[in-house]
Amino acid sequence: MVTKYLLTIFAIAISGTYAESCQNPRVEANSFTTLDATVVTQIAYITEFTLKCDNPLPANYALYAEVEGRPLTAARVGENKYQVSWTEEPAKARSGVHEIHIMDEEGWASLRRARRADPAAAVAPLLAIQLQHPGSYSGPWVNSEVLATALSVIVAYTALRNKSKILA
Amino acid sequence: MSGKGNKAFTKEEELLLQDFSRNVSTKSSALFYGNAFIVSAIPIWLFWRVHALEVSTSLAWFALVTTASTWLLALAYRNTKFHLKHRVAVRREDAVAREMARKLADEKKMSRKEKDERILWKKNEVADYEATTFSIFYNNALFLTIVILSSFYLLRSFTPTVNYIVSLSAASGVLALLSTGTK
Repeated sequence: MVTKYLLTIFAIAISGTYAESCQNPRVEANSFTTLDATVVTQIAYITEFTLKCDNPLPANYALYAEVEGRPLTAARVGENKYQVSWTEEPAKARSGVHEIHIMDEEGWASLRRARRADPAAAVAPLLAIQLQHPGSYSGPWVNSEVLATALSVIVAYTALRNKSKILA
Repeated sequence: MSGKGNKAFTKEEELLLQDFSRNVSTKSSALFYGNAFIVSAIPIWLFWRVHALEVSTSLAWFALVTTASTWLLALAYRNTKFHLKHRVAVRREDAVAREMARKLADEKKMSRKEKDERILWKKNEVADYEATTFSIFYNNALFLTIVILSSFYLLRSFTPTVNYIVSLSAASGVLALLSTGTK
């Protein structure tokens, strides 16, 4: 009798989660990253995506994100529209593709559980968004003062060498 | 030196004296002071635009430092020119003599003494010109290098006003001091 009840509860739980999770997720994403780092102290990465599923999603369907081991929450900004954003110091910001793993509540919980046992554990995400950061401009390679110094030192060296040549 | 003694000098001796004297002609002096003024005034732009020095409150400093620096730089030009002139004269002697001899070869009427005088005069002129231009180049190059190095690196943490005053006085002072040396 007890077993029967348990089975029923288990079935309800499965059907509940099954109904809530997104079936055949499709995503359309836009992204933005800071390109000019000359006057900012942090590089911002923002991606906004619309999630489409075969089944209707509940009103407060929460999504979580993970980028290179950093846990983030996807903010709900509209009807099935979410936004994930984070910042990094310009020195640490690497250019190239940053992969954002999006998970629903269930996936997130299982990831937390798996991480407790093994910090390097990975769980297949609900979907993955690739954010391309082409790198940010942090000023010219050679500062103008360094260039001015180098040029003036070269000219001064020429002058000194010529003077010693004349006086030799 | 007495006025009597001066009268006794021949033209050749006068030329020789001019050759060895520290005095410079008015034209040369104007060139030195004009150049020194321009080079001393240029850093104003650097401090105004790059180091963000307030112009209206620093006008007195600009005038004072530029004047002092102009005087010191002109002194450095003069001394450097004096040291260089003889060496340049020695280096150019043969070439100038050869060229002048070729030029004066047709002048049959000219006496040997006058030819020698002309060569001496030309030699003096060439050495004077070369020493003047090189002295200006040499001092300008060192002046601007010292100003850039001290204003951007050594005195970076000071206020722009202090930076300006110390950088320019140090640069022109060091050059004036170095030019008084024998080497």
